[in-house]
Parts: sequence; C-alpha cells; structure tokens
Amino acid sequence: MKKGGLTMTRQGLFAAGVVASALLAGGACAQELRFTVWTGNDAHLAMLNGIAEGFRESHPDVTVRFETIPAGDYTQKLTFQIAGGNPPDLGWMFEDSIPAFIAAGVVEDIGPALRETEGYDLDDFSGPAMDLWSDGDAVYGIPFSTSPFMVFYNKEMFEAAGLKDPLAMAEAGEWTMEAFRDAALKLTEANDAWGFEFKDGEGYDSRIMHAIMPPIRAYGGHAWQDGECGFDDPEAVEAVTMLHGMIFEDQSIVPPGEQGDFFSGSAAMTVNQISRASKMPEAGFEWGIAPLPTGPAGAAPIIGQAGISVFAQGDKKELATEFAAFMTNAENVAVMAQFFPPARASVLDSDAFIDANELIPAEQMAYVSDAIKQGSVLPSHENAPKILAAMKPRFDALFRADADVPATLAAVCAAIQDEL
Amino acid sequence: MALSQPQLATVKRICWMLSLVVVAIPFLFPFLWMISSGFKGPTEIFGEPSLIPRTWRWQNFVEVFEYQPFARQYFNSIYIACAVTVLTLLLSSLAGYALARMRFAGAALLMLFLMSALMVPEEVTIVPNFFLMKWLGVMDTHVPLILLPVFGPHGVMATFLMRQYFVALPKELEDAGKMDGLSRAGIWWKIALPMSRPALAAVAIITFLFSWNLFLEPLVFISSLENFTLPLALSNFTDPYGAPLWHLQLAATSLAVVPILIVYLIAQRQIIESFAMSGVKG
Amino acid sequence: MASLNEPGTTVRAPRAPWLTLKRRETIEGWLFVSPTLIGFLIFFLGPLIAVVFYSLSEWNLLSQDTIFVGLANYEDALTQNPDFWQVIRNSVIFAAGLVPMNMALALALAMALARPFRGVVFFRTIFFAPVVTSAVAWAIVWKFLLQGDAGAVNQMLATVGIDGPNWLREPNWAMAAVIVTRVLKMVGLNMILYIAALQSIPRDYEEAARLEGASEWQIFRMVIWPLLAPTTLIIMVITTIGSFKVFDHIYLMTGGGPENGTLVLAFYIYQQAFEFFEIGYASALAMIMFVIVLALTVVQLILRQKGST
Repeated sequence: MKKGGLTMTRQGLFAAGVVASALLAGGACAQELRFTVWTGNDAHLAMLNGIAEGFRESHPDVTVRFETIPAGDYTQKLTFQIAGGNPPDLGWMFEDSIPAFIAAGVVEDIGPALRETEGYDLDDFSGPAMDLWSDGDAVYGIPFSTSPFMVFYNKEMFEAAGLKDPLAMAEAGEWTMEAFRDAALKLTEANDAWGFEFKDGEGYDSRIMHAIMPPIRAYGGHAWQDGECGFDDPEAVEAVTMLHGMIFEDQSIVPPGEQGDFFSGSAAMTVNQISRASKMPEAGFEWGIAPLPTGPAGAAPIIGQAGISVFAQGDKKELATEFAAFMTNAENVAVMAQFFPPARASVLDSDAFIDANELIPAEQMAYVSDAIKQGSVLPSHENAPKILAAMKPRFDALFRADADVPATLAAVCAAIQDEL
Repeated sequence: MALSQPQLATVKRICWMLSLVVVAIPFLFPFLWMISSGFKGPTEIFGEPSLIPRTWRWQNFVEVFEYQPFARQYFNSIYIACAVTVLTLLLSSLAGYALARMRFAGAALLMLFLMSALMVPEEVTIVPNFFLMKWLGVMDTHVPLILLPVFGPHGVMATFLMRQYFVALPKELEDAGKMDGLSRAGIWWKIALPMSRPALAAVAIITFLFSWNLFLEPLVFISSLENFTLPLALSNFTDPYGAPLWHLQLAATSLAVVPILIVYLIAQRQIIESFAMSGVKG
Repeated sequence: MASLNEPGTTVRAPRAPWLTLKRRETIEGWLFVSPTLIGFLIFFLGPLIAVVFYSLSEWNLLSQDTIFVGLANYEDALTQNPDFWQVIRNSVIFAAGLVPMNMALALALAMALARPFRGVVFFRTIFFAPVVTSAVAWAIVWKFLLQGDAGAVNQMLATVGIDGPNWLREPNWAMAAVIVTRVLKMVGLNMILYIAALQSIPRDYEEAARLEGASEWQIFRMVIWPLLAPTTLIIMVITTIGSFKVFDHIYLMTGGGPENGTLVLAFYIYQQAFEFFEIGYASALAMIMFVIVLALTVVQLILRQKGST
C-alpha cells in the first residue's frame, strides 16, 4: 500500500498546487510554467517537483506544473497541443521526434540564452550527446537522459541452465552475439520461460528499432546514412537473419503476438535502460545487467536519449528557457542522474554517478558509464514518423516464420527510400 | 425407436435452443472473460485459462484509479454525455416540431439539406473542425465534445426522429391549446413535448450512448489526462513505455461497461425499442 | 395568438397586419430550427466546404506552412501512392465482408427471435448487448481474446485440437478478425430492425401460404423476403455507410496492421492528418471518402426507388 500512499501525496500536492495557483492567479507576477513529461512515476515526479521548488528560490512567483502524457501517445498529443494553439511552455522530447519538431520550427533555439547563463557550461555536454539536439550554434534541446541499452538477465535462470554469468562473459570478452544466441536457446530449454524478450515486449510494434539495431550495429551495419538505406546491406541482413533464426528456429525469443514478460519471470533476458531497474525490487528474483553482446564489428553500445525543449509558440519563452537552464545545470543533472543517466561529462565521471543508483552495483554501473561515452543514438530523421510507418508493414512481413529475410529487407529499403 | 409427435417436438426444441446458445457464446463470452480477467494478476492473465480467477486480485481496481485520474475521467464522460443529451433533446425537439407541424417557406428544402448530413462520416470534417476549435480557443476542453455531437449528423438524426414522432401525433390537443391562447412555443413545451415522451426517451438513450462511446473526437481534441473521457482512458492503460497493462485495462473496461450493462438489463425493452425507432426513421 | 391580443398590438389593429399568419408561421418556424441550423452550418457544413479548399493545399499541421498545390494531392493519391489503392482495397474488402455477414446473421437471428417463446427476451438481450457497449471496450476485449497462443480463443481451440492462427498478426486473419468482431458488435441493431419488420407482417399471409402447401423456405422466399425489402434496403444503406466510418475498432485492434492489411480509409485519413501532419493530403482523402459514401448511398437509393415502383 506504499504506492497508494505516495499517490495520495501526489494528488494532494496537485490539489495544493491548483489551490495555490488559483490564489496566485490574482497576483501580478505569479506565473505558471506548463511542462509536459511522459512519466507518471511518483518518484520521478517528486524529483521533478523538487527541482521546481529549487527554482522558486530565485523566482519565488513561478510555479511549474508537470503534466503527464502517457509515453505511447506523447508525441501525438504534444502535436495536438502545439497545432491546436495550446502549447506547453516546456516539455520532454523523444529522440525520434525531435528532428521533425526542429524542422517544423516549433522548438525554440535556446543556445544563446544558455551560453549567457552564468556557470552553465554548455560545453560540459559531450559532443556526440548533443548531436541530435543542436545544429551549429543553435540548441533545440538539452538531453536530460542519455541512457544506454543494457541486457537485463535473470540470474536464477542462468544458473538453472548451467550458463556462465553474462557479466563474467563480458569481462572475459566472450559475450558475443553467438554466445547470446546460444544462451537464449539454452535458457529456453532449461526454464519454463522464453530466452529473450525484446524491449518491453514491443519489438514487433513500437520498438522495432530497439529490437533490430543492436545486432545490426554489432555486425557493422546501419539503418540509413546520408539518405541511403542500409537495411539491405549484407551486415544488416546477416544480423536480422540471426534474429529471425532466434525467433522462429530456436524459438528462444518471445514471438509476435505472445506475452513473455521478463519482469514477471517469463523471459530470462531482455534489453532495457537502467531506469527500468526500478521495476526489479517487485520482481522477486536475482538479476543483473550486462552490456549488449558484441559482434563482428566489436562493441556497439546504443543509447536512447530524451531531452528538454522550450516550445517556440509559448508566451513565457524567456522564463521557460531560464527553467530549462536551471534544470540542466550541473547540480540538477546530478540529482536527475539517480534515474536518468547524464550527458554532462563532469557528472558522468563522478563517483556520485557510479553510486547513484542504489539498485545497481558499482561494477555494473561502470559498464553503463562506458556505454554512454562510446554509444551512439538510435537512427533518427526529420521524416521519422513516415519512415517508421512505412517500415512497419514490411517488418510485419519479416517477422513471420516463412519470411525471406534479404528480400523483405530490400522491400523495407524500397519503401523508405523516398522519405530519406 | 420411433419418437412420438410431442417427443419429436421436444427434441426439435432442444436442438433449436442449443444452436441458439452456441451462437450466443461469442456475444456473451467477451463480457464474462473481461470481468474475470479484470480480477487476475499480470502473470495469471495469460496463464492457464480459467473463467474463475485463481487469486482474486481486487487490487487491480485500486490501481486503476492510481494509474490515471480515472474517477475524474469517469465523471467527465458522465457529465459530457448528460450535457449532450439535454442539448440534443432541446434542439432536436424544437427543430423537429417545426419541421413536423409548421408550414413555413423553405421547410422542405431545409429537410433535404439537413438529411445530407446523415451520409457524411465524422472523419471527413474532423480536420477543419480541429482548426475551428483551435480558432475558438477550446482545444483540450470538453466544448468540442459537446458541440460536435449536438450539431453533427447525430443531432440531425435526432431531429428527424423527433419530427417523425410529432407528425404521427394527433393534432386535436394542439388545436385546443391554440384556442386557449397558447403561443407556438407554449404548445410545443406544454402539449407536444409531454405527449412525445417515448420519442424523447429514445433520443435521450441513443444520444447518451453515442456521446458515452465517442472516440475519434476525444482522441483529437483532448490531450490532458484530467480531461480524458472513458473511451480514451481505457485505451490508455499501457505502462510508461507503451506495453499494454492488460489486467488494469480489463479491470477499467469492466468498470466502464458493467454499469451500462446493468442499466441495459433493467431497461432492455425500452432501450431496444429506442434503437428500433431510430433505425426506422430512414 | 397570445401576443396578438396584447394591448400594444390591438391598438394598431385596423391597419392591414404585416404579420399575416403565414408570415408569422414562417418566422416562428425558422426561429424554431435556427439553433439546429446555425450549429449545423458552423460545425458541419462550413467544415465540409473547408475540406474542399484544404484538399488543394500542401499544409503541414506542425509548422502550419501552407502552399496551394491544385489537384496534386488527388493526383498523388490516385496515381502515385501505392498505399492508397491498398487502403481502398482494404475498405472494400471490409465492407464486402461485413455488410452481407451482418445482414445475413441479423436476418437469421430475427427469424429465430421474432416470435415469442420461452427465453426469447434472454436471447434478444444477449445479441443486442454489444450494441450498447462502447466500441473501445469491445475492441480491447477482443484484442485480448485474440492474442497469439496465450489468447483465450486459441487456448479454447487448442482444447479441441485446433492450432489457431496468430489472429491479429497475419494480414488475412486480422482482416477476418476485425470484420467478424465488428459484426458481433453491430448485428444486434440490424436484428431488432428486422424483428420489428417481421412483427409488422400480418400472420395471415404466412398462414395462407402454408395452407396452400408451401414449404418453410418457399414461405420465406415468396412471402417474407419481398415484404422485408424496404427494411433490407435501409439496413444495407446504414450498414454500408457505417462500414466505411469504422475507425476506433481498427485503431484499437490492429492499428492498421499487420502489413497494412487492415488499413482502411477512415484510419488512413487520421494517420495522414495527425500522425504525418499532412493536412492537405488527408483532406483530399476525406473528399474521396465523401464521394464514395455519397455514391454508394445514391446507388442504393436508386435501387430502392426501382424496387418500390
């Protein structure tokens, strides 16, 4: 009932906020910033509200209202708000939607303001991490979460299958794609569970890229580059053929339309970000995290990013920009690091970060830190919605037992080439 | 062994009932399975199928309200449906009465004009309505969800339904009202409306359900959780990363569907007749 | 009449009244319909006309950049975009599957339940229950029932030794699944329309035919079916239009997939407008949808005219 208690507090806070803002609305200087987020997690919201509270020290009249929009509909609803003339002042942005928003001119360039902010140190954010969010000197967002994809594994199931611990394999340099495939098969045979589950079980729907990009990159392939599709290159074909084999020959990956949730113990491994470790205490089994398996092209860590942007149509842009700067200063990035791995080099290197997540031991966090530094983000594009929609039906065809992998991937390329 | 005539009739009857029962299964089963699964935990829900949950997880129904402001969303749906119903009753009976009883210039043309709306799907006008609502400054409010059903094809349908009913009413009482010095509005309000209770009830029932079940409009016009209506809220039980939370979704769906079903069971004759009336209108 | 008797009006009574009864009736009539009419013009007809203009532009929902492109959107849909014809094909398959199945089942159920017997109310109530249930709830529950091997439908098929398909993951099965579940949702409505029609047929007709030695099938074919013709036409029009409007059912059950196998016109319009921000192209699609529905309705009404003369 702990959860219920917290929720009550949250609603209480919310109610108090409503009353407060109603009272303050009469005052001349009282201002409210509306900030859209996709988390409904109580701990996340408490942390965000704490940061907003800190902002009041310098801006006593400003309240920040965090508005939760569910992740699945987030970009869609945000689009409705912006196009409907009802934009939030600031909001979280997904990596796959930011290019389209930049191209449409709906996110504000906050670069100049950040450079003028005393003690902000924009250069502390690593170049690769800022790549997606900036264009020359213009800055359209600040990544608050730069989180690598890690393999979560069920230790008990590995023991039952008589397999070496993946983390140990990684240390010995044996954690390769072959070892991964072999482990998944043995885990499936030894346990009453699937060997591997795609991220959140959504590898065939909303998380296709999360499902296919780790092996494709490990094999040395890419999705697209400079307007050319890479899915039909031999490296990508080899990688996807392996995945296809795992799903339909080995039957070690949860297949399309089936349920096999890692967190409830019906899959032995999955891929996810460390923020998901918050789900582990309820899981009730021994677990660990390991890096993504390496391939012929070596290690290819993949990071997912999310950023904070100020919306160009807002009527309190200056204030919103000040808050964005406050939220992403070194001090608050360190606070957020407990959930969201930072892109600030100064925070990333600190012991505080390695120890920040109480659920994950330091030796595992070291891999997280490495992955952030070396990793690259998932492919993005300003036409991403159309590209993903064009890819989807072709990938539906791919994830069938009798699919011809090279031909299907060629069809994927044919379908998206125009949008690239 | 030969069967006697009555025996044969009994066998026939039993076969007849059995086949009806078989056909009824896909209609009834989803409701039973929905309610039963609403009580199951996330692991049991896809385990060995069983209509009776092995462990009754009442907590689902608590978590439904914690996951999003479900009570608020429930209330939104109720009050919007009531507002739409009252407005539709008022406007459709007013216009329907005029079209049925008053011989005014242009009435026939107007009928034809309004009738054309019945052929136009909402999807055709949703995009311009999006910009209209933006211009009116009512995005992410319930105003579009009230105005569009009242004035869209559904409102026109209600108007025709009322008109059909008024046409068939005997005129004598109204004439008597005229003698007593009642104005047109007075006749409408004091004489025609009380006589048309069945039609009003039919319009009310159909309109309430129409608003209650609306999905495309809330999807497009509503973006904050507190303003969601039930259908939108039901489609929203996914974990923060987009995977469906079936146990909560089904618990919430049960909460949304069961009260309506209970009302339906109590008033099934009235409700079915209402729909029959609305269908015959064309 | 009341206002005419007020003192102010009676004073000027000798002058020929401008407000003749006829004029008065017209003014009152328009006053009565004006709320409905004004709302209708603003929220329905205006938008309908606006779509025509929208469809001639290239308009990005997010950036609000607009340029006039003439008929390019129509050209794009009809000649360039391979998805469009697949969408039309899907919509036609959906309608062609749904309408006959719905009507046949509705008629069969109505024939079974038109005459009173013990339990008739029970069965009518069950068959009609999905009609009052929200389409969203119905779609959610069926999506749940039709999950792969773990779904209840396949679990049940497995007990009788059938290895059910992965319903919502195979294009053809998914189309079949959305059609059948939609029929289950809506058939009750047509059923009661048929029941009402059947109950209005005088029993003597049937009795007379029976006395002449007609078989049950002959009675149906020669007596009942012709008398049901007007109802059948109405139901056909309503059901056909309804099948082109289906959005929520598809949105929730399959999202247009797999392999675009259930991507129908209503959903495609939504997707283009609000997911890809293509307001102009979506409006052109909306116009096409309008024309299709209009054409279907007119054709069916002509058939009806012919049938009745």
